[in-house]
Amino acid sequence: MHELSLAMDVCRITEENVGTSALGRVTEVGLEVGDRSGVEFGTFEFCLESLLSSPPFRDARARIERTPGDELRVTYVEVEDGDPSD
Amino acid sequence: MAIRRIEVREKVMARNDELAVEVRERLASAGVPCFNLVSSPGSGKTALLERTLLELGDEIRIAVVTGDVQTENDAERLSRYTDRLVQAVVTNGACHMDARQILAALDEVDLAETDLLIVENVGNLVCPASWDLGETAKIVIFSVTEGEDKPLKYPRMFERSDHVVLSKVDLLPYLPFDPDQAIEYARRVNPELEFFLTSSLTGEGMEDWYGFLRRQARSGHGVPA
Repeated sequence: MHELSLAMDVCRITEENVGTSALGRVTEVGLEVGDRSGVEFGTFEFCLESLLSSPPFRDARARIERTPGDELRVTYVEVEDGDPSD
Repeated sequence: MAIRRIEVREKVMARNDELAVEVRERLASAGVPCFNLVSSPGSGKTALLERTLLELGDEIRIAVVTGDVQTENDAERLSRYTDRLVQAVVTNGACHMDARQILAALDEVDLAETDLLIVENVGNLVCPASWDLGETAKIVIFSVTEGEDKPLKYPRMFERSDHVVLSKVDLLPYLPFDPDQAIEYARRVNPELEFFLTSSLTGEGMEDWYGFLRRQARSGHGVPA
């Protein structure tokens, strides 16, 4: 069900929480995918990997926790605080 | 290099859900129930609504919003059976409607002069199950020319609905379709489902359907939770 557009919404939520200029320093995005959410897990993971490894991101990864229920949520974002030119 | 974690805990569907809440609040304060009709393409949503508008439209003030990927054909068909505005949402590719579209449609509906709002969703038994439109309840239309096991194949939609209209029952003498089996499968997925067996062509079963709509429209608060 629209796994790519959902993955793009994850990117939007990430940007809203860290700011556009910090997106290249995002290391990990944590998510909960409910087993009754209608999200096809493998496809969603694939879409996230594709988006999070492309600009404006730089090798960010998704950490997905499967949960009971029907919610799909972004739980946290981890950002590297340091010299962005490293 | 320090890693900083930012707690987020935001639902991905949050934006649609917020708009759905707004729709729900506007409808509730006007006392107008809203039914979201969902089905596979060709199950008979529009035919059901044509007959409903024709036979019940003078008694109950029904507002309709249709959704289709392309064309306004359904809205045009329905507009022949009512003097009220029928709004068409053309999604241009999206396979479901969303709450934003319903909220926009509400701006054109005088809720004080409306007893019931019906949304005819895009023909799709998958995606609309996940998009809350702010409706009181979803109603699945499922026809006897489909398989009895439709509910088993599309469980989420049947789980999230309260009622099923089994349509085209005038064709039963020509088909191997077993309505009791279909009802049994559906209740396996959702034991609370209530059924209307109808033919929009002959009128069979339509009185029960109208009775339900009359009760909902009069009560002004839709299906009890």
